[in-house]
Amino acid sequence: MDSRFPELDPAAPAAPAASGPPFLELRGIQKRFAGVHALRGVSITTEAGQIYHLMGENGSGKSTLIKIISGAQPADEGAILINGRETTSLTPLAALSAGIETVYQDLSLLPNLSVAENIALSQQLVESQGRLARRIDSGRLVTTAVRALEAVNLPTDPRFWSIPVEQLPIATRQLVAIARAIATEAKLVIMDEPTSALTKREVENLIGVVGRLRAHGVAVLFVTHKLDESKSIGGQFIILRDGQKVMEGDIADHSKAELSFAMTGKKLDSVRYRRAAQGAAGLLEVVDLRRSRAFANVSFSLAHGEILGVTGLLDSGRNELARALAGVTPADGGHVRIDGKAVALNRPIDAIKAGIGYVPEDRLSEGLFLEKPIRDNIVVQVLDRLRNRFGAIDGRRSRALANDIAGELQIVAANLGNPVQSLSGGNQQRVLIGRGLTFDPKVLVLHGPTVGVDVGSKDTIYRIIQKLAGDGMGVIIVSDDLPELLQNCDRIMAMRKGTIAEVFEAERVDEAALYRALVAESSSSVQS
Amino acid sequence: MSDFAWDSSNGAGSASPARIIAWLIRHPPIFTLLLIVLVSVVVGAISPEFWQISNIFDMARASVVTGMFGLGFLVVLAAGGLDMSFAAIAALMMYLVTTATAAHAPWLPMPVILLAAAAGGALLGVGNGLLVHYLKAPALIVTIGTQYVIRGFLLTFVGTELFINIPLPIENFGKYELWRVQTDSGSIAILPAYVLVLAAAAVATWWILNRTLMGRAIFAVGGNPAIAERLGYNLRKVHIFIFAYAGLLAGVAGMLHVSSNRLANPFDLSGTELGVIAAVVLGGARITGGAGSVIGTLLGVVLVTLVNNVLILAGIPTTWQTFVVGCFIVLAGTVFATRESS
Repeated sequence: MDSRFPELDPAAPAAPAASGPPFLELRGIQKRFAGVHALRGVSITTEAGQIYHLMGENGSGKSTLIKIISGAQPADEGAILINGRETTSLTPLAALSAGIETVYQDLSLLPNLSVAENIALSQQLVESQGRLARRIDSGRLVTTAVRALEAVNLPTDPRFWSIPVEQLPIATRQLVAIARAIATEAKLVIMDEPTSALTKREVENLIGVVGRLRAHGVAVLFVTHKLDESKSIGGQFIILRDGQKVMEGDIADHSKAELSFAMTGKKLDSVRYRRAAQGAAGLLEVVDLRRSRAFANVSFSLAHGEILGVTGLLDSGRNELARALAGVTPADGGHVRIDGKAVALNRPIDAIKAGIGYVPEDRLSEGLFLEKPIRDNIVVQVLDRLRNRFGAIDGRRSRALANDIAGELQIVAANLGNPVQSLSGGNQQRVLIGRGLTFDPKVLVLHGPTVGVDVGSKDTIYRIIQKLAGDGMGVIIVSDDLPELLQNCDRIMAMRKGTIAEVFEAERVDEAALYRALVAESSSSVQS
Repeated sequence: MSDFAWDSSNGAGSASPARIIAWLIRHPPIFTLLLIVLVSVVVGAISPEFWQISNIFDMARASVVTGMFGLGFLVVLAAGGLDMSFAAIAALMMYLVTTATAAHAPWLPMPVILLAAAAGGALLGVGNGLLVHYLKAPALIVTIGTQYVIRGFLLTFVGTELFINIPLPIENFGKYELWRVQTDSGSIAILPAYVLVLAAAAVATWWILNRTLMGRAIFAVGGNPAIAERLGYNLRKVHIFIFAYAGLLAGVAGMLHVSSNRLANPFDLSGTELGVIAAVVLGGARITGGAGSVIGTLLGVVLVTLVNNVLILAGIPTTWQTFVVGCFIVLAGTVFATRESS
């Protein structure tokens, strides 16, 4: 077990002795969606002041289970007991008033309302039992909000709590969401993949807050993919596979391999994927690239068939560099040469013409047309090439191309005509990578290729990346997932405050050294 | 604490131009106010008549119906909806209530008449709300549809004739004076009492939006309906309320229109929709919902009324009015878009 995250103090007050019934108990929950048996009799219990990790691959039923607990969807069969009493219908409001607070990935914050309103309005809504013809008690709204803000170490002055949440950085928003859980005196806080958008430092802060919640007797249920993180946080775990609970226990008693075997049903070796040797040098040459207030003096080269990792904290400039290479937010100065030829990357189309494929970090908002068919999402960048002589898109050729790509990338879909949002996260990511391949790029920039992707899918994606590099493509992986970079890359470039801090040979560095390079000199601004 | 950057440009510090601009951008009503001052100063410099009390009163009078519509539109817009049917509702209630009163109960006191128009408008609004909620169709489309249906109903079943003999209580209501001023030139300027109805509606709308759970629920739904529902806000209640409220204000506005013009024309008020939307947007409301204020809307209404009424004083042909309003909308749209992306 590594020690990247502070462990929770084991001496913190544990759950009060089991004198009464557990806070929440689910018995034999069943849920079907048109033809899919999403949950097949799942039973779980949560006790006060405990940490739980709900783990499983995409499609294992995690999300459905969460929705049932939070009242967003009814169960078809089974019983839900809160404090030992059976509830017949759990609505969102009933779940809230029972003390179940769910922090979804979108944090369930209302972007246009103020921090104070986001934190403390729920309390008044619950008290009015959903009736809206009520005056707001503004004084109490503020008192409640301020108390909750104190508990999560956020500023408590009016200039902070009166601003709309949309103006806050993501990590702060998350703390606001947790403050809301505190304000509603939640007994169980469910966090759906809370760390996927955070840097390590922000994760540490979040874990600190979780520790305080726990000390107040609040149970926390993480829904997560990240084994490393769960192991270092500690607590109980519940693993779902195919809608069934396959394993549960204390996470400290089981190895990572055991856990991932339980999740996937197959052995997953954490070996290095990178095997092939790189080819001739000089595929991509970046000289003194800069973008004001983002990065400067960035020079590096990439060989044919080489895989280069780029990592850094959120303010390191890694994201901006990736977007500059894709022409999304162009650089202000410097040179980029591909095969010795200078290219100007001012717009995304420039990058495509220069042979740089880009797979964006946030596939939902930057990458995919969610409601459109999988097929259209794959071929959208090469529509020009698919035109027939009447200028219309040739359906047969476009289908053939999409089928080829889907086959090559092992995209699992009943029908490529289905909307891309019907796919799991891992398959969506493969659609996006597939799109990047349609125009046969020389360089592929993968920005967070496995964010929100389950263990099994990660494996597939890594194998695809290796195969592409083996075929001579230059690959740049921009990621904050250090094990991912160590497993896949030839070299890893660590960025800090907009410049390249150090470049490592992936085989001669370990995670701890890499992490030290990222945080050096920048640990002073961690909030108190 | 150093991690949390918020509102950094709002701190006490040197007032650099960039800061002032940033501050303006985040407070859209100020921008609207600046445009009002700009137009007033320019027109006032060209034509001193602008500052005459009678002109000011005229504009107040002309703002009332647009103002009532604007407040209703704001409430719907705040929840992320668009209501295109308010003018049709106003026309129907105006004509229906006026002709019905004249035929059956010409003695009915004005408060009862207003109440009837308000109730009728609210009822039509409930219809809008139910359609929007249960059809899950865009409010814009649904209310364009109901706008045509209501107009068609009015012209087919209620009447198409200009109605001149309006009942006395309605006529008198338009004549109540709030303030009478004898000008130096000997003429008399009168501020009608019905401007108070707009004032009351503005206060009520402000109170509902800012001091009640319904108001916050409206903004919550405008910010993100899916999240609002997940947090326990009842979308059906919000949908019904916003359209009923807009309908209520439209019904009242229809009666104010009859009172001030002293005639009821079923063809009146059609085509006013875009002017109202322009006023609300100029007042800083976000066209995609979730943001907007009563004070901004009132300022937007004043600005549009100002441009529509005073350009002629400056010797600018009236045909330029829409041109100027159009330029202001593009300008405001650009400024407010900067606010969102910054």
